[in-house]
Amino acid sequence: MFRRSQQEHSPRAATALRLVSVSKVYGTAQSAVTALDGVTLSLGAGTFTAVMGPSGSGKSTLLQCAAGLDRPDRGRVVVDGEEMTGGTEARLTKFRRQRVGFVFQQYNLLPTLTVAQNTALPLKLAGRRVDQERVREILTQVGLGDRLGHRPDQLSGGQRQRVAIARALVTEPGVVFADEPTGALDTRGAREVLRLLQRAVRVHGRTVVMVTHDPVAASYADTVLFLADGRLAGHLSGPTVDAVAERLAHLGDRVRDDAPTGV
Amino acid sequence: MFVLALNSVRHRPGRFVATLLSAFLGAAIVMTFNSLHDTAGARGVDEVSAESMTTAATVVGGYGSLLAFFAVASTLTVNVRGRAEEIRLLRSTGATPAQITWMVVGEAVVVGPVGALLAIAPSMLAGRLLLEMFQDSGQVARDVAYAFGPVALGSGLVVTLSASVGAAFLAVRRATRAASGAGRSGGRARRFAGYGALAAGAASVLSTLALDATDPMAMAPAAYGSILLAAGFAVFSPVLLRAVLGRLARPVEAVAGGSGHLAVHTMRRRAAELSGVLMPLILFTGMATATLYMQAVENDVIRAAGLTRSVDDKNLETLNLVVVGVIVVFSCVMLINSLYAATSFRRREFGQQRLAGATPGQVLGTVGCEGLLLTATGVFFGTVAGLAGILPFTYARTDGIRPGQGFGIWLGIVAVAAAATLVTSLWTARLTLRTPAVDAVAA
Repeated sequence: MFRRSQQEHSPRAATALRLVSVSKVYGTAQSAVTALDGVTLSLGAGTFTAVMGPSGSGKSTLLQCAAGLDRPDRGRVVVDGEEMTGGTEARLTKFRRQRVGFVFQQYNLLPTLTVAQNTALPLKLAGRRVDQERVREILTQVGLGDRLGHRPDQLSGGQRQRVAIARALVTEPGVVFADEPTGALDTRGAREVLRLLQRAVRVHGRTVVMVTHDPVAASYADTVLFLADGRLAGHLSGPTVDAVAERLAHLGDRVRDDAPTGV
Repeated sequence: MFVLALNSVRHRPGRFVATLLSAFLGAAIVMTFNSLHDTAGARGVDEVSAESMTTAATVVGGYGSLLAFFAVASTLTVNVRGRAEEIRLLRSTGATPAQITWMVVGEAVVVGPVGALLAIAPSMLAGRLLLEMFQDSGQVARDVAYAFGPVALGSGLVVTLSASVGAAFLAVRRATRAASGAGRSGGRARRFAGYGALAAGAASVLSTLALDATDPMAMAPAAYGSILLAAGFAVFSPVLLRAVLGRLARPVEAVAGGSGHLAVHTMRRRAAELSGVLMPLILFTGMATATLYMQAVENDVIRAAGLTRSVDDKNLETLNLVVVGVIVVFSCVMLINSLYAATSFRRREFGQQRLAGATPGQVLGTVGCEGLLLTATGVFFGTVAGLAGILPFTYARTDGIRPGQGFGIWLGIVAVAAAATLVTSLWTARLTLRTPAVDAVAA
């Protein structure tokens, strides 16, 4: 379903996402908060990675810097073999719409457009030809083939998120970033969304990076990266729910042990 | 609740600027013209002078009061709608609807009279100029002295205060009704009023043809007819907008690409909300076109007949021009205010467009497209309403049907309408784009 179309020219890079000593500080002087502290990582194409960590660990900042929604203060970000350089918002937008797809916790579908129009919107905006047949196909495969003319407010949360996934995949991006995609869903809706993301990776070779705080969601990924205080704090391959929960519970311990005593 | 109202005015003065401005303008116009009542009432003023001044004061004063009410109501509605979050918070902390109403009314009670007080000095000045204008044109005798008295002051304060309080009640009622999830009631009454206005307008316009051709008063039914038709169109503006979009969707998308695509689909869904913007546009275009062209035709008729214009003729012209001026100012205030509010409420939507891959330029392009479509729709139906009055009047007063004035005046009116619409919406959209897309969506 999420196959690459024939007319694509450039071969996909083997490394879908690479971050080299990426740092980001919010605020200035005394109120400065270091959200990311020299993070270096590399994710291969066709992988499903979950990023986990306690609140304030920098996972959302990591995702926004990697996805070109925010600019890191230092370091390099390479998406799909192309380095992200700064510049105007228009330039960043054009970079994003070629290489990146998004799925957000709050769906961010446009309320005035139908399901089919929402899905085709990134193509329209990029001035690409819209193949209605392909839009229908991709929506059928996320299970919404009979809802093409509905508006987002006529759908359940799980259905809305599936439209968002279809929209993220329709441009065939190098990396799909998902920010707490199941955060607003019930268990059933969450499971469907996670299976779809998993299938996009396993069957169709997409690359997915998902930020979550839910061990169940993380267990659908191939690898889990743990983040604490803006730094990488280990990873886990072939995660199970219990293993993730266990690791997460002790993430705080290690940080606390590192901190100087006698507060 | 009144303490809360005072605090909210003191700490957030910015959001009352629009209301203050409408109250100020309303009071200024009402007081300027009503000071002519004071002047005419002074001892030793001859009858012709007194009549000229009283007529002007009554007509424009009445118009001004009505428009002040609409303008204040429109700004307050926008103000209350923009504070939905604050009002929700007050409700959840235990404020009853009555208490919330009193808070908003309290704010209006503070802001309205401040506007009126600020308007006193400018009104005295404007009133003096107005009197000089009347004297220069010979409508008022030279020896009449200007007076700014109890009628001017009293009417200014009463009009702004009652307009503010009434408008505040109306605004809160609308907002709380929307908040409590009740559907829009009054839809039928509104439709009924709309049909009524269209029917009365058509009748009024047609009755022009039955009037005595030499009577300059033929202008009255034609002008009222145009105004009523414009008001009727304004009521049905959502339907009319959808119809226009249906026609223009393809060409707009072909010319403006992704931006045009978004603009057309968004407007079709938001047609009902956009009526707040279309209404002043249609009224402005309709009334300005009808009045200015009819006055021009009237002047030509008198000149062609080789007559000099009487005091009555001049009075009529002054009144017409002033009424158009008042309407232009108020329509612009209402248009700019509701468009500003409508655009800045869309911060989140613009953020979503940007996250879906729209560049800032494409977002602005969408807003610009919408502005053009709105202007085109408003100007079209306003012009239809205006022409409906102009054509019969021209036919009654001259031999032809078409007025000989050309497109100059109309182009000027269109330019004002387009500039107000486009500048406001693009400027506001640019401001909202300063927020990063991710934050705009979260807010």
